[in-house]
Amino acid sequence: MPFVKRDVTAPGSTGRRAGDDLAPHDDGLASHIAALGSPDIEVRWSAARALGGRAVAVPALATALGVEQIARVREAIMTALMRVGDEASVMALLPYLRSQDAADRGASIEALQALPGAILPFMAPLLADGDSDVRLLATELARNMPAENATQLLCRLLEHEQHPNVCAAAIDVLAEVGTRDAVPALQACAERFAGTPFLPFAVSIAIARISDTDR
Amino acid sequence: MTDVERAAAPSRRRILVVDDSALVRLYYRDTLQKAGFEVEQAINGIEAMEKVLAQPFDLAIVDVNMPRMDGFSFLRTLRRSAADVATLPALVITTEAGEQDLDAARAAGANFYLIKPVSQQDLLRHAAALSGAPP
Amino acid sequence: MAGSEAHGPRAVRVTPEDVRRLCEFLYRRSGMLFDDNKRYYIDRRLVERIGATKSESFQAYFAVLRSDADHEIEQLINAFTVNETYFNREEHQLRCMTSDLLGNVIRGKRPGESIRIWSIPCSTGEEPYSIAIWLMENWRLVDSYNIEIVGSDIDTRALKVAAEGIYGERALMRLSRDVIGRYFQPVADGEHQIDPGLRESIQFTRANLIDPSEMARYRGFDIVFCRNVLIYFDDSSRRIAAENLYDCLGAGGYICLGHSETMSRISPLFRVCRFSDAIVYQRPEADHDGR
Repeated sequence: MPFVKRDVTAPGSTGRRAGDDLAPHDDGLASHIAALGSPDIEVRWSAARALGGRAVAVPALATALGVEQIARVREAIMTALMRVGDEASVMALLPYLRSQDAADRGASIEALQALPGAILPFMAPLLADGDSDVRLLATELARNMPAENATQLLCRLLEHEQHPNVCAAAIDVLAEVGTRDAVPALQACAERFAGTPFLPFAVSIAIARISDTDR
Repeated sequence: MTDVERAAAPSRRRILVVDDSALVRLYYRDTLQKAGFEVEQAINGIEAMEKVLAQPFDLAIVDVNMPRMDGFSFLRTLRRSAADVATLPALVITTEAGEQDLDAARAAGANFYLIKPVSQQDLLRHAAALSGAPP
Repeated sequence: MAGSEAHGPRAVRVTPEDVRRLCEFLYRRSGMLFDDNKRYYIDRRLVERIGATKSESFQAYFAVLRSDADHEIEQLINAFTVNETYFNREEHQLRCMTSDLLGNVIRGKRPGESIRIWSIPCSTGEEPYSIAIWLMENWRLVDSYNIEIVGSDIDTRALKVAAEGIYGERALMRLSRDVIGRYFQPVADGEHQIDPGLRESIQFTRANLIDPSEMARYRGFDIVFCRNVLIYFDDSSRRIAAENLYDCLGAGGYICLGHSETMSRISPLFRVCRFSDAIVYQRPEADHDGR
């Protein structure tokens, strides 16, 4: 047999890397936090992963996110924040909704979408933000919420929203998540945007999907 | 469809629609299919890469804002890929009308861009032109 | 409840729009596409699951599904996928391994160096043994390198079965009589047992994909087969598992998912790679600036 059986579970048997000296569950919190600023990509990556779920590390993770240039380390920092999932970590992630960089915006939505409970108190202000791009992205955060919450939030948005792409985003979420309570707001939206491309179509599909709920 | 069949039925161009919104994809698909295009879909740039690498397409219609791999990242990855996919024509759909987005689209390798929401006429006209279908 | 009438299961009405809504949800979450001609698959399974969850309406069932209560997404997907494990399942990936992946893997290695291959989850062992047998049957350089094959699973009972290496005819259906003759011995009840030499060559371990400290013991893998498990995880667990797997791979290492799975629903960390037999994913050789 050309196969070699080595004991993978023995420490040091498998070529450990620089960052591995930061064993994830030793309580070297301070050293992990310091390592977030290392010049070595691997060390920063391991540090971010080791700090996953540790609420005390949120300020340090937020700071690191502000300067990190390497994509996978940014991803790991956002995962670490997501795993904390409290109000402070939501606030650390929110600014990236406003980023000029599409990748950053997408990444923060990914992380925040996993925290429907923690993001709920922020939804009303986000959906009323002065920046239409922020409102648009915020609609996506309602997707993982219970149907009643999502419906209420998005209908309130639709009642006043003038920007067609924000409406379109809200309608897409409602088509999946909405209850039939959304139908009046959807119909009003279709009327407001009658004769424009896409929105009347989107509303008709959404209504067809959700109006028969409550059977 | 073989190359011979496709040459004989030139309107059956293959278009990949890339957008994370189900309703947008449905809208584009309905419009394009009725006009005789074959349409596949993807919800982000990663799925778009998988599909583009697996089968030939004549055009990709690509939204900018998508999770996990946005439209510009997809285009940059596409243009760095093997020659048979790197030259795939790409129509980028963005929400902004600003110069910044136009520059970004060009830099990423878009052939053309449109601002959402896109009318059916605009979609068809540009899809036909960019995919090389006869007018 | 007053009265004693028996109630049969109430027929829950499911409309075509309900099915579209469900299919859209499934596609977004998993990448599995059920177009109009495959809708009949869904209709029947959906009605089954509505009954199984005692849902009073499609809307009630959809709420259960969306919240993934009691792993309902896994139940639904299992209702219409074939989940049997057998030798040489998804053979095209094994072919890709010997035709393309290993050629790239050895470019950075000297003869005699290690090549590390991981099957996780390995379940009852069909996959890691298939990999070993396939390599011996199909890779001309199999004797030129130290090949380590590790099979891991969270289920210790499955691991025991794997270590024993006894399989029935059905599990071996894709193997030729010759191959069975070369690597198995017949045992009781028409079953076959993997030869002791091969059994002893595979390391079986317990590992949990989502636990970073457990996963930290695994490093420097060249090829990982992680098939038909991530599709069942929720979004955050998938993300964490993907980061763990990335960490377990060496730079340039490959990861193969199940045939209905896609990294587009899991993680942005990996590069999509096309080979003639399969699309696989790669940990990039080097980091690049994300900006």
